[in-house]
Amino acid sequence: MKKGILLAGLVMAACSGCSSMGVEPWERDVLAREEMQLTTDPLEAATDDHIYFSKEASSGGRGFGGGGCGCN
Amino acid sequence: MTSSKDRSVTATLAAATCTLLGTIPAPVDAQEEPKWDFNTSVLYYGEDGSRVQDASLKALIRRMFVDDRYLTLGVTVDTLTGATPSGAIRQDVAQTFTRPSGNGSYVVPAGEHPLDDTFKDTRVALSANWTQPMGRAGLFDVGTSFSKEYDYTHLGVNAKYAHDFNKRNTTLSGGISFSKDSLDPVGGSPQPLSEMLDVGDISNRSGSEDKDIIDVVVGITQVINPKLIVQANYSLSQSDGYLNNPYKVLSVVDPITGDTLARTPGIEGGPSGIFLFENRPDTRTQHSIYTQAKYYMGGKVLDVSYRYMTDDWEIDSHTVDLRYRWPLGSEKYLEPHLRFYTQSEAEFYRLSLPDPNDPDGAPLPAYASSDYRLGNFDAITAGLKYGWTTRNGNEMSVRLEWYRQTGTIPADQIIGNQANRDNYPDLNAVIAQFSYRFDL
Repeated sequence: MKKGILLAGLVMAACSGCSSMGVEPWERDVLAREEMQLTTDPLEAATDDHIYFSKEASSGGRGFGGGGCGCN
Repeated sequence: MTSSKDRSVTATLAAATCTLLGTIPAPVDAQEEPKWDFNTSVLYYGEDGSRVQDASLKALIRRMFVDDRYLTLGVTVDTLTGATPSGAIRQDVAQTFTRPSGNGSYVVPAGEHPLDDTFKDTRVALSANWTQPMGRAGLFDVGTSFSKEYDYTHLGVNAKYAHDFNKRNTTLSGGISFSKDSLDPVGGSPQPLSEMLDVGDISNRSGSEDKDIIDVVVGITQVINPKLIVQANYSLSQSDGYLNNPYKVLSVVDPITGDTLARTPGIEGGPSGIFLFENRPDTRTQHSIYTQAKYYMGGKVLDVSYRYMTDDWEIDSHTVDLRYRWPLGSEKYLEPHLRFYTQSEAEFYRLSLPDPNDPDGAPLPAYASSDYRLGNFDAITAGLKYGWTTRNGNEMSVRLEWYRQTGTIPADQIIGNQANRDNYPDLNAVIAQFSYRFDL
């Protein structure tokens, strides 16, 4: 519960600072480049998520936790 | 690569120009014709010491429709072979185990880490997602997933929504997914903490088991400046049901020597020692915080992410992932990749168990597993990717990575002779992937 409140606080603090950040639409040339997308290669990202889900006790973060395998 | 987005921008510009000139624009359907985007790959994942090998074919196929709507279909076929640690400890003598099917036995030579070599499977995974804008600033995605292997079936549904604010500099997103998985273990699911029995004796086995998983993810993405974008996500994952690995066992050991207690196999053969099937709690709640930043530095792109995970099995983990994309001219790039991972062991992780039949011995814990993935370990991945654009504008890449896990058994779990042995089944693996992306 405490973690939830802390997180909500962090998100609110982050959002309140957001209005002073950012770019104008005509400044987006670099951000629009394919290599600047948060997930550049979705297939590689899905592959890695599945490998590490199978071999470690943690999963997800970037998106849903994955799953759907017996993974011995 | 041109996309329908580019085309719709072209159409919008054309329409705007026409409006300015006071003419009627031509129909825009030609500019927004549907198209297919294929993202395909061949993957080899191989662990050393005759452990797991996976040859995998993967494809993400995107079909574009008008108005920035699209359908994404995912297909994966995995062919898995190799051996996997059974959970039993090394011994100075050869050990015999009954196979999971109960139909035979296998021998592990003296001094070697017990691996169950019966692992062989084909896994098929399918997914479908529909994505479309909602209003001027929203994006909605709904999907379903299915996977099937010999002893495991997964069925899932998911939905996500993202909304842009602040001149599209801030995006808030939220998503939820439900999974319903069922396990039908080879030979039946063993009764938790029951003994591995002789060949042919399946009296401690029952049928299939189920588990349900709910995942919730909320996140914020923020453009900081023209060269920096950051993201932060919180995710909650709740698993309920059968969370055991039905093939994993623990060795029952002498409280002084730490050696596995001997057992006399039956006429048909059977285990040479006493091994109990593992038992985990039937619920698990995981919390994760994930942060990522991408920074553009004169053509080069630095991609850094960090994830913290904690759960009610008392596992904490930290993951740092670094990628650096280095262009070689305008058509090629190199991308070194480093990943560091560390986790603490689950509260019920045990290297071995006391004898439940010893009246003077320590009591058997309610939950116990020696699955190396629930242990205390560090892992490192180092890799390099090379990507290029082909003459006809398609994209190809190859990557080669090494993954290494090194574990530590908590000192208070080491008994007698166990101190002389390397008890953690360290893992070395190679990942090789070739990807090809093309449009039709």
